[in-house]
Amino acid sequence: MAKNKLPVFPSETMIHKITNLLHDGMEARTTGKFEIPPALGDARWTDELILSTWHMAATGTLPENLNYKTGKSNGGFDRLDFKTLDEEQWLKHSEDISTSIELNRRDDHRKKLSPAIPIYGGGMSYGSVSVNVMMARAIHAKNWNTYMSTGEGGYPEELYECRENVITQVATGLFGVEEKSIQASPIIEFKYAQGAKPGLGGHLLASKAGEEVAKMRGSVPFVSLFSPFPFHSTYSVEDHSKHIDWVQTINPDALISVKVSTPHDVDMVAVGSYYAGAHIIHLDGGFGGTGAAPEIAKKNIAMPIELAVPKVHKFLIKEGIRDNVTLIASGGIRTADDIAKAIALGANGVVLGTSDLVAMGCTRCSNCEGGPSGRGCPWGLTTTDIELQEWMQQDWGVKRLDNYYTALQWRLRDILRKLGLSDVNELVGRTDVLVYTRSDGK
Amino acid sequence: MIGMGEKSRLTIAEFAKESRIRADSYHRYHIDTIETKDRQSLPNRFLVSVGKLGLAKLLIGEVFEYWGKWDVVFARPCTYGVFSGPVGGFSPRPEKCVGCLRCTIEHPEFVTIAPNPALSSLGDSYLNSNIISTIDEEAKKGIVPVRGQGYRGRFGGPGWDGMFTDMSEIVRPSRDGIHGRELISTIVDIGSKPMRLQFDVDGGLVSAGPKMMSIQVPFVFDTPAESVMTPRLAKIWKTAAEQVDTLALIPGEMVTSNNLASPSVVPVISLDSFETTGSFKNGTRMVQLDGWDPSVYSSISSSNPDLMISIRMSFDAGWQQQLNEMIDAGVSVIHFVANNHGVADGGRFIMEIIIEAHEMLLKAGVRDKVTLLHTGGVVASDHLPKAIICGVDAVGLDLPLLVAMQARLSGDTSNREGYMAKFPRRFKDSWACQRIVNLTGSWRDQMLEILGAMGIREVRRLRGEMGRAMWCTHLEEEAFSEIEGFIGGGI
Repeated sequence: MAKNKLPVFPSETMIHKITNLLHDGMEARTTGKFEIPPALGDARWTDELILSTWHMAATGTLPENLNYKTGKSNGGFDRLDFKTLDEEQWLKHSEDISTSIELNRRDDHRKKLSPAIPIYGGGMSYGSVSVNVMMARAIHAKNWNTYMSTGEGGYPEELYECRENVITQVATGLFGVEEKSIQASPIIEFKYAQGAKPGLGGHLLASKAGEEVAKMRGSVPFVSLFSPFPFHSTYSVEDHSKHIDWVQTINPDALISVKVSTPHDVDMVAVGSYYAGAHIIHLDGGFGGTGAAPEIAKKNIAMPIELAVPKVHKFLIKEGIRDNVTLIASGGIRTADDIAKAIALGANGVVLGTSDLVAMGCTRCSNCEGGPSGRGCPWGLTTTDIELQEWMQQDWGVKRLDNYYTALQWRLRDILRKLGLSDVNELVGRTDVLVYTRSDGK
Repeated sequence: MIGMGEKSRLTIAEFAKESRIRADSYHRYHIDTIETKDRQSLPNRFLVSVGKLGLAKLLIGEVFEYWGKWDVVFARPCTYGVFSGPVGGFSPRPEKCVGCLRCTIEHPEFVTIAPNPALSSLGDSYLNSNIISTIDEEAKKGIVPVRGQGYRGRFGGPGWDGMFTDMSEIVRPSRDGIHGRELISTIVDIGSKPMRLQFDVDGGLVSAGPKMMSIQVPFVFDTPAESVMTPRLAKIWKTAAEQVDTLALIPGEMVTSNNLASPSVVPVISLDSFETTGSFKNGTRMVQLDGWDPSVYSSISSSNPDLMISIRMSFDAGWQQQLNEMIDAGVSVIHFVANNHGVADGGRFIMEIIIEAHEMLLKAGVRDKVTLLHTGGVVASDHLPKAIICGVDAVGLDLPLLVAMQARLSGDTSNREGYMAKFPRRFKDSWACQRIVNLTGSWRDQMLEILGAMGIREVRRLRGEMGRAMWCTHLEEEAFSEIEGFIGGGI
């Protein structure tokens, strides 16, 4: 399409043509029919990790000839491996190996929420992604009895059909926060900070803040939205407690999740959040994904999740409250192996965001903020462009995510059984099953 | 009537007028950036190859399949315009490619997108093609680079990459300085502040007051290799420094022969030509002696009492001894220099050397009496706050400014005097100046992002604030020490 031509809603024929080309092309690359694209991948998400994610999303199985476990970042998860037992001690791979976790560990009146897998979907706002993407993630979460977060962009009407599986995020800009959506959700997530841009607040650049997005957010169309940091109503942990009181007044049954990034004192923040009433402490590490963030913020501010999880886990134990709170890790978790490593380091479960997008076709080209076209993702993921968003159809997205999580769960069970564990909860904090390797894993 | 004293009483009208004058004279510091196009563009990021036969076959097939639906037939798999030329994919425009890879995924049979080796071969192991591309974008647009998706690189890494800066999660006084909502100052003081005031028995002040000047940003423009520095470049340095309100360090003889003396210019003079120290007029506030000689320093500082004298010296082996001598001699501005990769003192990286120098000053109880500047190894926006956290007051920039002017560097680029620079064939001084101003605007705004995340309202408070830094090796030790096979971080 010529750059200056206005996007139009595509015809059925056009959607059929483009989506078929994309789907066939992805399959051709993952099956080895064509070589790996030379420009695909980077140290964190290597070409093989992206293609293996596509393979899992297409088939629900692990690939045979691609590294689906680690990247080449030369540290963190990529340097950790598992000390598996001798083969004769392995458990049988079976659905009896439990991957379910409990999100409410407090002794209170609220619901016990037990997703079937130790994973739920991270916040990606309407505006940063399309409704198709949001709905695909929400329906997938419903299929898997897990959750996905709205991100900071409001609660599109379509999501209400999945309300039991949708987390309402309350972030510093309070964009789209309404009593109705707080009442609808089983979990309310306070986003204090985001790993990709700690201390900076959300960014949605003007080109993506179109009419519909602005309406949802109560903002002016095509004006860049920079959420403040931190909450203007929070100067202390005590103020944070008031936030929770406010939400509890509106929805007394909801669990409270507090999403924070990973500064030096993240352990103290976690304890403070627990005493303020949080059920879930969600740590978002410095390698996390984003729809738009200053490049200087990525990696340079706050610490990677691999380093934050053990710090917080140990401190919660020391404070005698580890069993009363759920610790969730995110920000740079790419694979089932990363998930298991995060849990072995001390998390109860993880949140995935980028992996979901990769499963739906993302190549991590980094043009989500709009790119030179100003229209956002050419794959139809991180865009609300009326034409581009049709390249990712909701039903296809659900299928991809369901398949991908099937493969993740399979691999997670595979790791557990090789460690002689029959329940993912037994893996929490088991650093003794990890080994630090001298080179990136295979 | 308003005012306490008889003489100071103003009428309401006078007070209002006075207030208006003061309000109108207020100028919030800001660097005016203007998009400034390339004169010598970097090589394209990607090579785009389209098999013409394959494309022709596709088109013919689609003409039959979608007969009459021409918008479908001619729909191109690129939203960036790579195939938007008159003949579409038969003559692609690789300069527009951003590497989304949609085309090569849709048409793997005949479209290939590959990284361009001409780009990746630019620079060296330190000032690499990624950094050069980033500086180029910063100098072009003058904005903070913002992109989607997360970090793409190594876990930690050597040098500055081994440091993470801290942030304040909840309690934070500063809010969004970059968006103009609150002032976060990037002013630094160059010179000497007394550590304490002294009074006589009658309460009269007997100690000297501060002898310093302020610049608006924590960086100065340092003189590049002698073979690269020309009078024209010196003028560009000077003009840009005046616009940004910082200092340009320029060889003394070039200042004299080209009439460049100005409050924003710091002539750098060799020890053998120290007699010229007093010859720079026109508001010159500081000169820099290239080397340390106590007798020369003593001589010129006593004969030029109103001039600040800074000392430039390499972080060579034995620098600690010279630093102690300079402290004893009362030198107020010390400018350390390492090679272009930030390596000095027998192979140590400047991060740890700066910390050592800063701590020596602290231990001597003279930290505020001495301004520490450093040049060498600061080539990216994140290096700037990290160097300040380690203990410098401000850094010297040279190579980044050359890259901003789209100079191609060659030769021994790690050596401060061993490289050459090839500039665009034709450019106006105003173009070069604006590119430099844009770069500084971008780096200052990125500095504000870092300061804002920490909740710090002025860069002066960041100096030596090592509690605001986290070292990857330390964190790994804390996180992984009990894991089998771990033998220390940063392997």
